[in-house]
Parts: sequence; C-alpha cells; structure tokens
Amino acid sequence: MNTIKLRKREAISTKTKRKEFWHEILRGRWPYTFISPFYILFLIFGAFPLVFSFILSFTSWKGTGPLIFNNFANYKLILRDKVFWQSMENGLILFFMYVPFQTLLACVLAVILNSKRVRGFKFFRTVIFMPYISSMIAAGFVFQLLFGSRNGLFNSILGLFSIPAIPWLDTMWGARVALCALIVWAWLGYNMVIILAGLQTISSELTEAAMIDGANPVQAFFLITIPLLQPVILFCVVTSTIGSFNLFGELMSLFHATGGEGPLNATITPLLSVFEQAFHNFKLGYASTQAYVYFILIFVVALLQLRLFNREID
Amino acid sequence: MKTHLFKLLAGLIILSFILAACGTPATEVPTTAPTKPPVIEPTVPVARPTAVPTAATISPTAVPTSAPVVVEKPSGKITLWGWSYDAMQSTGLVDDFQKEYPDIQLDIVKYSSSDTYQNLQLAISAGTGAPDVVQIENSHLAQFVDLNGLLDITDKVQPYIPLMNAYKWVDAVKDAKYYAMPWDSGPVVLYYRRDVFKAAGLSDNPNDVSAMVATWDKYLETCTTIKDKTGKNCFALSRANNDGRLYEIALWQQGLGYYDKDGKITVDSPQNVATLEELGKFWNPMVVSEEQAWTDPWYAELNSPDQSVASIVEASWMGIFLKTWIAGGTAGQWGVTEMPAFAEGQVRAANDGGSTLAISSQSQNPDAAWAFIEFMLGRENSQLRMFAYTDFLPSLETTYNDALFYEPDTFFGSENTRQIYLAVAKEIPAAYIYGPNYQLMNGYVSTAIQEYATGKSSAADALKTAADSIRAETGMP
Repeated sequence: MNTIKLRKREAISTKTKRKEFWHEILRGRWPYTFISPFYILFLIFGAFPLVFSFILSFTSWKGTGPLIFNNFANYKLILRDKVFWQSMENGLILFFMYVPFQTLLACVLAVILNSKRVRGFKFFRTVIFMPYISSMIAAGFVFQLLFGSRNGLFNSILGLFSIPAIPWLDTMWGARVALCALIVWAWLGYNMVIILAGLQTISSELTEAAMIDGANPVQAFFLITIPLLQPVILFCVVTSTIGSFNLFGELMSLFHATGGEGPLNATITPLLSVFEQAFHNFKLGYASTQAYVYFILIFVVALLQLRLFNREID
Repeated sequence: MKTHLFKLLAGLIILSFILAACGTPATEVPTTAPTKPPVIEPTVPVARPTAVPTAATISPTAVPTSAPVVVEKPSGKITLWGWSYDAMQSTGLVDDFQKEYPDIQLDIVKYSSSDTYQNLQLAISAGTGAPDVVQIENSHLAQFVDLNGLLDITDKVQPYIPLMNAYKWVDAVKDAKYYAMPWDSGPVVLYYRRDVFKAAGLSDNPNDVSAMVATWDKYLETCTTIKDKTGKNCFALSRANNDGRLYEIALWQQGLGYYDKDGKITVDSPQNVATLEELGKFWNPMVVSEEQAWTDPWYAELNSPDQSVASIVEASWMGIFLKTWIAGGTAGQWGVTEMPAFAEGQVRAANDGGSTLAISSQSQNPDAAWAFIEFMLGRENSQLRMFAYTDFLPSLETTYNDALFYEPDTFFGSENTRQIYLAVAKEIPAAYIYGPNYQLMNGYVSTAIQEYATGKSSAADALKTAADSIRAETGMP
C-alpha cells in the first residue's frame, strides 16, 4: 500500500520534473534560439566527426562502402608503425628544438617593448607580429631559397667566409633546423603579443621596488617578471607543444617536393601522418586510429605540463 | 506557438544530423582542418606499368558496339578536372570539339595532379561534387577504381580495347569491367645535352651516345668521363630526398616491381636489392646532382646554358616540359636515345607515368562526357595533334603509321625522336609497380632509398624494413 503510493509519487515527481524541464526550455525559447547556431554547427563539425572517427578507427573504411570492423587490427598495426612513431619522435624533437628558445625570446622581446625607454612601441610590435599574419606558403618558399643547399643565401654567406656549405635541406638535422627557423620566424610575434599583454597587467612598481632594493635588470627579469608571467608562459608553452606536433602548412611549403616529410621522414608530424594515411593511401579507418592514439598521447602531455607548472606556481 | 518554435528548433537539429551524416567524410582530429597548400606541382604525366590485361580478359561475347554512331548528339554541361588541358586547348582540339558538339557546354577546371586527386577523393567519398570527366594517371588509377567512384564504361571502350597499348588497360580494369580510357604511354628514354657531351670530348650523335649508355655500368663510365672533363653532374638523383621514380624505372625495365603476378610483395627480393645497389654506384663517387626532382633548382640545372646536368632518364612526356617551361631556352641542345639496359643485351625500355580519362559515376551526363573522351583520345587525328605538340605518345596504336612519326624535331637537334619513343614503347615489359597501393608502396620504398643513399642502412636492410611495413599495412603476403 505504502509502496504503491511512493511509486505513484515518484512517477508524479518525474513527470512534473520533465514538465518543468520543457517548460523551462520553452520559457527561454528566444535565448535558446539565438545560441542554437553554435550548437548546430558544433554538432555537425565538432561532435559528429569526433564520434564518427572514433567508430572509424575500428574499421578499414576507405571513404566509400560499408563500415567493416576489423577486430582492432588498426590498433595492433599502429604499435608496429615506424612512420607514426617517428612522427611522434619528430614532434618531441621539434618541441625541444624551438619551444624553449622561442618562448624565452618572446619574453625578452616583450619585456624590452614593455619598457618605457623604448620608443615606437607600436611600430616594433607590428613588425614582429607581421610574419604571423603573412602567408605560410610564401614564407615556406622563401625559406627554401634561404636554406637551399647549393644556391641558398645562407650557404652563399658562409661561402664568403670560406666555410663549407651546409646541406640544410638534405640532412635530417639540417632540415629540422631550417624548419625551426621558419616556425620561430612565423610564431614569435604571436607568442610575444600574448606575453606582452600579460606583462601589461603586471604593475611596474614591483620591478621598481626590486631595483631599489638592489636588484639589477636581469635579476628583476628572472626573479620578478618571469614568475609573475607564469600562467601566460604556460599558455604559450602548451599551445606551442601542441603546435609542434600539429605542424602542417610549414611542412607542406618548406618540403613540398617530398609532401612535407622532409629528408628520411625527418619532419613528418603526427598530423601529417594522419593526413597521408587518409588522403594519399585512402585509409580513413587507420588514419582515425592514428588520430585517436595521437590525441590521447598529446592530451596526457598537456595534462603533465599543466600539473608541472601549476605545482611550481603553488 | 511555443511548441511550433520548439519543433522548428528540434527540426533544425535533426536536419543538421542528417546533413552531417551524408555530407562529411570525417576522419581527422576535428580541431585542425589541414588546409591543402597550393603545392605547385609539376604535373608529372603518368604512365603505367605493364601487365597483361587485354582484350582477352573481356568477355568475348560482348559485341563491340558500332563506334560513335549516335543517333542524337549529346548535349548539356560537362566538367573536366585535370592538368593536361593545355594539350587540348593549344592544339585547337577544344574548339573543334565545341564545333562538333555545339550543345555540350565544356567547363575545364585547372587543377594540379595532387589537387585533382584530393578533390576527387573527397567528392567520391561525399557522394557529390565530382566532375564528369577526370584525368587520372595510371599510377593512381587503380586506387580510384577501388573506391568505386568511376563509371563502368566497358561497353563504350570495347571497340578500343585491341587498339590501345595493352599494358595501359591493366589499372583500368576491375572484375572484367573497364573504368578509364588510356591517353598516353610513357616510354622512358635518355635525354642528353649535346653541348655537355661535346664539351667532354664525346660524340653527340644519338647512335654513338646509345652505345655509350648501353648499360647502367657503361652509363656510369660515361658520367665519370663527363664529370672528370667538365665538372658537370650527369643527372639529378637526390639522396636524402629521393622520390623513387628512377628506381621504379630501373625495376620496370627488368619486369620487376613491388609485387609479383600473384600479389606477393617483392620489395625486398634479391633482384630489387641488386637494382638499388646498381643505382647506388652513381653516388660513389658522386657523379650526379642532388637536386630534388620538380623543384626550382632542378629546373634551373636542366635549363642552364653552362651549369647544366648532362642528361635525364625520363618518359617521353618530358619532351613538352623541356620544350616549354623547364628548359625552353635550350632548343637544339638536346638529344634523345635509348635508356641504359640493366645488363648487356637486356631490355632498354620502361614506362613512367601516362594518363587516362575517366567518367565519374556521379556524372549527370555520361554520354556527353564519353563524347568528349572519344573525341580527344579515341580519334587518331586528335591524338596525333596532341602528340605533335606535347610528346605524349598516344596509347592509340592505329596512329603509329602516321607521317608525324618520321618528322624530325628541331628542339632535339632535328633528330627523329618519335621513332625512338615508338620503338621503346613496343619493348616495355610487364611490371608490377602501380596498383591500388602504389602511393603507400612508393612512400615506404622512397624512405628505404633515402636510408640506403645516406649510408644509414644497407640496401637489403632498408628494403626489408620497407617490405615488412608494406606487408603489415596492406596485408599482402
């Protein structure tokens, strides 16, 4: 008897809850209508590909025909896929080659531009930022000319000092150095502007106080400015990390004759590997597998970075 | 009123799902849409491997439809994607086609080869957006046939099956159905600079040069002489950025390939290893240039009046590129002769590249599309006009007795090059290089060549690694 009553009450309460829910939605119909474009687009271009490619990662789909599940064969294959692991290694190597350098340089430039003694602040900021908005394709071709092994500008300059030419684009490390030069050139301004924005939120009284206490500008930079900038620098480092695994346009322009792979796959990145599997080999299923494995790995790396930095901030 | 609005909203969301479901060939990390950079591609016209297809594979009962007797002329709009449009436009063939078929509206979309393939793949996968007619190289053809995006044109090509180079059909056939019409074949020859040979104290007569390069070993000797006498490089063969094309040519001439007729991977076979080691001799000592094919420095050294390379081993379609945008300034300085044999007395012929035209299965106007293909590729007159302009050797064998084949070519020092192309084309052996997995195989083998060339690995080990990767990915034995 009691239980029946209870159940009834429950039924009524879920019913009313549901009613209330719809009522709530109807009451907010205009706000919901206005925000719906984002959700609709997100469902089409965000959620759907995410889910669909997860399903694809268990199939051998070529882009047409039915989905045929292949029993985790893709995940087994990826463990032995030398090119994919080479691409992860390349991302890691590139990270160490340019991220610390670029971040430090961006900090230094930002601090210099932030100093009251520098005139033409806006001019320099614009000049340093300009490469970021210029076409990567054009830049890649220019860097190809600069780093050309035989007729490149840099080797011609070395030649003036009787230094033997360096086969930049014909060796694994030379190619990576050329690539890092292109990346730093293109992305320095972006990172600098972000750090500059962070810098402008730091009161100059802090460094002035330190100076009065006897710190020199270098000490003030490393002991006051950098620690205060940590959250901003963290943002730059995390995005650059993801960026170094996600290189694409840079590779396609600088190493266009080898489809971005560079000499001996020296510059192939996970993103490029996924692209090649999907659009050269038409293995959309396996490409999805690579994308998911890559996503998980980069997710872990980003988490570790956040943990590491946050601990220091604490 | 309220419920109406809500229904509208819900309807929108459902609609978005439906749209998404039929429209997106989603594959990648959704956060980054790789934009395809406009890779300026040299449009290597492709040619294709050989094999054995032929009329015999087609059911003998099929009655050849009496050629192009069309009761009513097709009409409507057709779209063409491809990169060799110049061969049809500059020769006036497009105009003539329009005169013959005034009701067909032809729209030529100029894509590089890589853009053509990428867009075609997406269009096929999406089920919409594909052109009516598309140019596909034999190297990529089987891969697209496999996608089921091309129209079965067996009954249309039937009359042409015995008339074309047999090996050109191999990649166009699947389950005894034909999906493309051959355009040109890619007989490989040796192009050489007469001025460089003379500067090295050698004869520049094609017959003499032919003897000098009779085998790859003799070619190496000649290269060494040229390097010693003039300091010039013999040809371009990149080490760290090798694209595998010359290696494929050397395999082809021996009837080898990446797999055999039973579909067994032969990338690491002793013959393949020996072939790679033979090419490796040119790096040690270095008698070749390291420029990557299809880059600006590579064009420059072919076009240079005084810093040029001595030769290039490439298919006949290279003729139009040398004559126009690569080395237009060197008219009269070039000669043509047979490519080296792998060993004394062996075949001096291989194929590289070569194109076809296919109709997409999405075409709304397949009759008009076929009318275009038939006009361009099925008629002797059209094929010969394009050949005269481009050096694209017609796959259509009925053209081979035309007077054009006996005309000298002033760009090549008034030599009769077309007879050489023809003689080579007749000798091309069957080989197993192209196919549905060509891109993947070429990728792994190129890396193996790079590892061997830069001393990171022996030829046998590098090719073994490549073969293992190919086996794992393709599942071929």
